[in-house]
Amino acid sequence: MSSSRARSLTWIAVLATLSRGVADETHWAYRPIPTVAPPRPSDSGRVRTPIDAFILRRLEKAGVRPSPEADRRTLIRRVTYDLIGLPPQPREVDAFVSDPSPDAYERLVERLLASPRHGERWARHWMDVVHFAETHGHDQDRPRENAWPYRDYLVSAFNADTPYGRFIEEQLAGDVLFPGDPRGTIATGFIAAGPWDESSLRDIQAGTLDNLAAQYLDRDDMVTTTMATFTSTTVHCARCHRHKFDPISQRDYYGLQAVFAGVDRANRPYDVDASTRSQRRELEAEAKLLEENRVPRETLLSPRTAAEVTRWERANGERLASWRVLDATSFVSAGGAIPVEQPDRSILFTGPRSDKDTYTIVAPTGLESITAVRVEALSDPSLPSRGPGRADNGNFHLHGIRVFAAPAAEPSRKTELALVKPSADFDQAGWDVTKALDGNPKTGWAIYPRVGRAHQAVFQVEGSGIEGAPPFPGGMMLTFVLEQLQGGHHLIGRPRLSATDTPRPVRASTIPDAVGRLLARPPAVRSDDERAALARHVLAQRNRERLAALPGRGVVFAAATDFKPEGAFRPAKTPRAVHVLRRGDIERPGKAVVPGALSVIDGLPSRFELDDPSDEGSRRAALARWISDRRNPLTWRSIVNRIWHYHFGRGLVDTLNDFGHMGGQPSHPELLDWLAARFRDGGGSLKALHRLMVTSAVYRQSSAGREDAERIDASNRLLWRMPRRRLSAECVRDAMLGASGKLDLSMGGPSVRQFVESKGVHVTPVVDYAGFDVDSAASFRRSTYRFLFRTLPDPFLATLDCADGSQLTPVRTESVTALQALALLNNRFVVRQAEHLANRVEAERAGIEPRITAAFRHAVSRRPTREELDVVGDIARRHGLANACRLILNLNEFVHVD
Amino acid sequence: MAAAPTTPFLDRSSRRRLLLHAAGGFGAVALTRLLAAADEKPGSHDGLHHRPRARRVIQLFMNGGASPVDTFDFKPALDRLHGQKFDPGDRVESVTGSPGFKALRSPFEFRRHGACGRWVSSVFPHLARHVDDLAFLTSMASKTNVHGPASYMQCTGFTLPGFPCMGAWISYAIGSETENLPHFVVLPDHRGLPYNNRGNFSGAFLPARHQGTVLRLDRPEPIADLRPPASARFITPRSEADGLRALETLNRIHLRERADDSRLEARIDSYELAAKMQLSAPEALDISQENAATRHLYGLDNKVTARFGESCLTARRLCERGVRFVQLWSGASGASNNWDNHTDVGKELPAIAASVDRPIAGLLEDLKQRGLLDETLVIWTTEFGRMPFSQNKGGRDHNQGTFVTWLAGAGIRGGVAHGRSDEWAWKAIDPIWSYDLHATVLHLLGVDHERLAVRHNGIDRRLTDVHGHVIREILA
Repeated sequence: MSSSRARSLTWIAVLATLSRGVADETHWAYRPIPTVAPPRPSDSGRVRTPIDAFILRRLEKAGVRPSPEADRRTLIRRVTYDLIGLPPQPREVDAFVSDPSPDAYERLVERLLASPRHGERWARHWMDVVHFAETHGHDQDRPRENAWPYRDYLVSAFNADTPYGRFIEEQLAGDVLFPGDPRGTIATGFIAAGPWDESSLRDIQAGTLDNLAAQYLDRDDMVTTTMATFTSTTVHCARCHRHKFDPISQRDYYGLQAVFAGVDRANRPYDVDASTRSQRRELEAEAKLLEENRVPRETLLSPRTAAEVTRWERANGERLASWRVLDATSFVSAGGAIPVEQPDRSILFTGPRSDKDTYTIVAPTGLESITAVRVEALSDPSLPSRGPGRADNGNFHLHGIRVFAAPAAEPSRKTELALVKPSADFDQAGWDVTKALDGNPKTGWAIYPRVGRAHQAVFQVEGSGIEGAPPFPGGMMLTFVLEQLQGGHHLIGRPRLSATDTPRPVRASTIPDAVGRLLARPPAVRSDDERAALARHVLAQRNRERLAALPGRGVVFAAATDFKPEGAFRPAKTPRAVHVLRRGDIERPGKAVVPGALSVIDGLPSRFELDDPSDEGSRRAALARWISDRRNPLTWRSIVNRIWHYHFGRGLVDTLNDFGHMGGQPSHPELLDWLAARFRDGGGSLKALHRLMVTSAVYRQSSAGREDAERIDASNRLLWRMPRRRLSAECVRDAMLGASGKLDLSMGGPSVRQFVESKGVHVTPVVDYAGFDVDSAASFRRSTYRFLFRTLPDPFLATLDCADGSQLTPVRTESVTALQALALLNNRFVVRQAEHLANRVEAERAGIEPRITAAFRHAVSRRPTREELDVVGDIARRHGLANACRLILNLNEFVHVD
Repeated sequence: MAAAPTTPFLDRSSRRRLLLHAAGGFGAVALTRLLAAADEKPGSHDGLHHRPRARRVIQLFMNGGASPVDTFDFKPALDRLHGQKFDPGDRVESVTGSPGFKALRSPFEFRRHGACGRWVSSVFPHLARHVDDLAFLTSMASKTNVHGPASYMQCTGFTLPGFPCMGAWISYAIGSETENLPHFVVLPDHRGLPYNNRGNFSGAFLPARHQGTVLRLDRPEPIADLRPPASARFITPRSEADGLRALETLNRIHLRERADDSRLEARIDSYELAAKMQLSAPEALDISQENAATRHLYGLDNKVTARFGESCLTARRLCERGVRFVQLWSGASGASNNWDNHTDVGKELPAIAASVDRPIAGLLEDLKQRGLLDETLVIWTTEFGRMPFSQNKGGRDHNQGTFVTWLAGAGIRGGVAHGRSDEWAWKAIDPIWSYDLHATVLHLLGVDHERLAVRHNGIDRRLTDVHGHVIREILA
């Protein structure tokens, strides 16, 4: 945004426009798309598709002749790069060049549109537009291991020719609008595609100004990406003040922020198929009913349930111990924690949370002999992650347990009990309960990641009572010593102790004591209440088993509303309040806003009327529908212009993300409208749109310069020729692999790391591109499948003007530098492909000239001329074929398409 | 497929062609274009907006947040408050937590130095001798207390990723004085890249040629791809010479029928420039050519200072050879080995300060002796300051409220200080923003920061956003 003091020409131009009284409704982009009939140029013989009629008419008016059709070799190279991003194979070139049928070109286009490579090429374009990358992109540039499913979604959506309206809706609210379809969830990777400020959103103190400001900026990225991508509007200009040039108010802008006020960027599990998803939904609903004790009594007492309970009892015929929960008389924390007795006889340790601690707890049992003791670690809302441990993640480590027994009457006559055969309801990997008895203070029993719920360990007491010990008239007094020496507050937060004299073996159980007591009673004598309680337990147990048995879920980094809280980063239970910020300043909040979109589109509501504003999904669904509405002229003009840009090197409007007053004017407004209407009314088929464009006579023109035309239209705005274009960084890389014969065409899956990754000092890993083995399998995959590091982009591709994922890149810049020349000459990848190409043609042909000819055909899809053969042959003879191939990969022709 | 950058000025075909042709050259591309668009004649200032005072810039970036109250912003009030609850009357926040907000005095002794009497703490004994050459900005302020966004702000003027940094803007605006070396060179700390990694040196939406070229002095090949890989035995000096000649021949054959396309010609030129760079770069980086006195001046003979000294000496050599902008980093990202002194300022700061003190003093002295300081702007900066209260065993949390930057050399009035912080260096009384610093740097290079803009996604983007005032108080 220019400041009020700016004196740039653009400002002056705009002021002039505004002062001429151009009202917003008349600005071309906001007008409804009119019905346009293609004009009738006098040279109608050149018209192949209606596009030509528009272009020819303008050329005729300007007095410029169009160019003749390009030769077939040029055509196949051009259209193959455009539609699939790879060079054509020599045999494909031969077949096309010698194909006598009049529809040879049209059939070629069909073949390319049907190729799986097509989706890979166009997914990469889309990744530029939405600034997709696979790391967070701020100072803590953490890799996102689950971002790639969104890339695979794009590849398959373009290959399947997903109707554009649906494509929009899936990316903004697929999880809400198409809940049965896993693609709907994966597609919301769109919302999460951009950077994420981990330090400000997770690591600093929640609720600080920095933290709140970061939330606004995070949503700003979602809003900017959405509106730039789908509607080519620059709403982000209205963050600090009303848009200076376009009819977009701060309320419009913050209304859009409110659309995203309930989502965050996080890992989100999804079911890989619809039936699993519906089963999971049913089971989760049932689990909730059971947990909230809302299952009807009739169901619990029905014969069907009773049969289920009987089956379960038979299958789980374990004999449950009858535990006596001990009422401790003394509890001491060596670390100074304050014990608070709980009604259920557990002890909640509060107050000072020392690093390590040893608890000493004394309790009478009332039993004259015992066979086992039990240590329960109960969860509690006051503990971190609800416990049961006091460590930040809710874990504890029990390194050692010792139990002493004394007669109740003589508490000082203590004898240590021998504990054996430990068991636990759950063991953390590598931290099983036997480690609590191994005498090693570095090992112990722990329960991560099953935090937030109760766990128990049972230790049998060896022998019959205690060897050589006196009987315990009046019962045993037990002293428990619980050693927790891990550090980092890995302490049991709420222990409860029990003892039993049930005959051995006694094992830890997942069955609650209350249920155990019910099971101990013969079925015939159980009351209805008891049967209902038992049924609830059995149904819950069965529910958990069925949930666990469902096929594993995929994970995608996407728009998420439910994820594991970390530090200040917590899911919004209901959408966060969004205020208009005066001057965009977090310290100057104004009115709270309701979700909405732009006010400037006729017939579309600017404020969403939602049945339940607290339902965040309905907000995104409303925006998705607002954008995909056939009455939204921005949407349909935006996409046809974007596709035009990729085929013709420049949009009909050359500011792809800005259709506002400061953006470009359409060079062919009627054509833009005709394309938009045709695309929208034809079902939003992108493949049909490609077909329309690349089969046009305009597209098939030669790219050669012509003085007569240049005198009138030097910039070729009227398209009297096809512009010559430089290959994108990825195309250059893929074309080298194509030429060398090393290209691996396998599709999808986790991204390939074309670098060596090692641990960094903090979150961001150290990434070494120079150390990567360019002959490893990962090197040969298509560039679409590269792992994209936001702050550490591949220097080779960055030099070739690759988009880096930190900004929306509707149009890539194109630079020519010495560093680029050095990269193409010396980068190890290039040098190796030159050798591979040399080996390939050596195997294919005999003799230097046939080999060079073959190398030319692989690299630039044509035979060399006599003159070229002499030059390259000379190098090959004197310095070997690999040097000749290195030359060929550095040709201007190799990186440009006529 | 790419098109030329989208800017309002490119719409006119003749200029577009001019630019594309210039893409292979190294001239003052952007400004010439801007001036042409505004119908101003480049005329007397060599294509610049006004007469420049500086020809090049060396920026020294102290990564992690250098503490003002322990270096250049002496606050005796903290002595009195030490150990008491810090309560300035306004809300006090600490992003990583500072239990009790206990005021913390500086553990270092401050003394007055130079004719100007500038207070400097004991951590910078060598630098303290140069205070009469330095202009201090003692009330710099940032918009965030978090490293990543704050580093972005100091480097690019925005707290978000995706914007060109100052070096890239300068390269874009006025090009370079040499064709044989990159315009904008970055020398990171040998221990690793700073917060945001290469994001801090990004050209973002400017053409790739303007992004910082990272030199790793600790590697056998400091510039990536300068030479063929050693593993490629089939490439010899002879094959290289013959090959480049043949490449040009082939490209000229290709050009015959495409003579109207200046991009193709520019690309042919780029290979010639590449060959020149292959010769110039190793020579520029070869500090063995420096004599013992110079090496001592930069602290190369001392383990503590050798690494940063090498960066400083290399910076001087690059400047002598026409590189426009050299950025040096002290400190890598992470919890230690940088200026992010959370645990104990008394122990952490002296170590990192000592590693740069002599090298920077040596650089200033060397530039002066060689007559280069008059045309070279030296900037010492960091992303934010540190709190006047304690954390852990005497550390300090991040503070966007106020911090210190200094400038020296071309066009700078030495021995002055501008901007006041409050009595505890908690907040700036009259804040100076990155916008003002950047506006001043551009001004010294002959560029009006309000007229250096590039249209991107619908907005005329500037290094200074919609802000910025040239700080005339520190100009000579």
